[in-house]
Amino acid sequence: MDDFYWKRHPDGPFAVLIRIATTYLHPEVDDLESLQRLAQLDDDSEMRAFKSELRQAITHPDEVPRDELSSHVEYDDGSPEKFLLRLWRDLYGDEPIGVSG
Amino acid sequence: MDVLIFARLVLFVTGRLLKAHTFSVGELDRGSDCDKPAEPVTVGEGTPRGRELGVVVETRTRGEAYADLRQSAESGWDRSRRFDAPHGELAAFRAERAGLPEVSSEEAGRYVERHRAGRPWLETAGRASPEALRIIVAADLGGGHGHIRHEGWVTERASMRRVAYLEDPAQLDAAQRQRGIDGLRPGGRYHVCGGLASRITDPDAYATALAHGAEDPDVSTALSTPYKRDRHPDLVRIPIADLLGKDGHKVCTGWQLEPVEGSIDVARDNRRAWRVAIAEGRQPDVPQPAARPVPTFEGGTIVFVISQNKQRNGYEIATLFPQPPARDIPSR
Repeated sequence: MDDFYWKRHPDGPFAVLIRIATTYLHPEVDDLESLQRLAQLDDDSEMRAFKSELRQAITHPDEVPRDELSSHVEYDDGSPEKFLLRLWRDLYGDEPIGVSG
Repeated sequence: MDVLIFARLVLFVTGRLLKAHTFSVGELDRGSDCDKPAEPVTVGEGTPRGRELGVVVETRTRGEAYADLRQSAESGWDRSRRFDAPHGELAAFRAERAGLPEVSSEEAGRYVERHRAGRPWLETAGRASPEALRIIVAADLGGGHGHIRHEGWVTERASMRRVAYLEDPAQLDAAQRQRGIDGLRPGGRYHVCGGLASRITDPDAYATALAHGAEDPDVSTALSTPYKRDRHPDLVRIPIADLLGKDGHKVCTGWQLEPVEGSIDVARDNRRAWRVAIAEGRQPDVPQPAARPVPTFEGGTIVFVISQNKQRNGYEIATLFPQPPARDIPSR
């Protein structure tokens, strides 16, 4: 069976990013608002991992499994890079993407 | 003898009518293989039989007939195929296993009569078994949209236009639908859709997929997740054959967005830009989107989305939709 990326590769690169992005942003879910609220939870280990992977994906796009991201999230931004940048702005506003302290 | 003469008369008239109403693929495809966005939409299947002569009366629009014919020609879909449902299992199914309200058959019938005018997707009642209808009404009482966008009430044409033009089958206002406004979300939001719009064409099959899916360990675990505001359990994929049997894929159809410049990413981006331009009354500066039938769902899966229930105190199966095998989905 063609299962989701995070099921096939639970420890794969950006598995948390792809799983959470799919769970909230797949067009049949389309719940950016809930993800925005979750993104504000500084003490949530899963959201910290998500933010870290999103930062890494933006700064190292060549490491991202691009086909998996596209087929799972089905964004309409035109490219993985544009989607990831737009997602950062949607969730973290003007916060700099650079390496976290 | 009178019966024989009458039968011959029926056959003669039927043959004449079928010739008058048969649409050839070539005629429909003349000039464009895209439906025209301005054509009036009739969301719903209707082929009632003429009472006097017992012949089939074609009530579909040209666009609906075109989409049906393309789907049949390109995927082998049999419009007349009916799903052999496990009625005993459906009758015994408790909707609370799917996070949905319990509904008796009698309550389901009353609900449909009371609401069908304002909720036309309940027209599926005409084709569903009583056991399946009970489950579909339970879904309608929930907060999800699977039975509205991914079940047999949705026509092939509506499915095609959803993926190509982002027209929401759930949007009952024709003008709003043509503007791409979502029919279920408040605030005049644009409807969103991935690169695929799919449906389970038979209401009994839809109910069976929901009932069997609710018993799947991964779905059951997701539904049992302790409720937390803003949290969604992960999506779950289950093989179509596991839910609907080895021929279950034959009651699944879909339309996929045509890639642009070989890319589905570009196609989705263009579609969004086209949609916004049309809604704003501007001339789009991208090509009009196009869609083609999914060739087959054999070997495919059904995706379950588990979301917060209406009461915001637990989770329910919010929607389910078929997907073809990954090899048949256009890549980035």
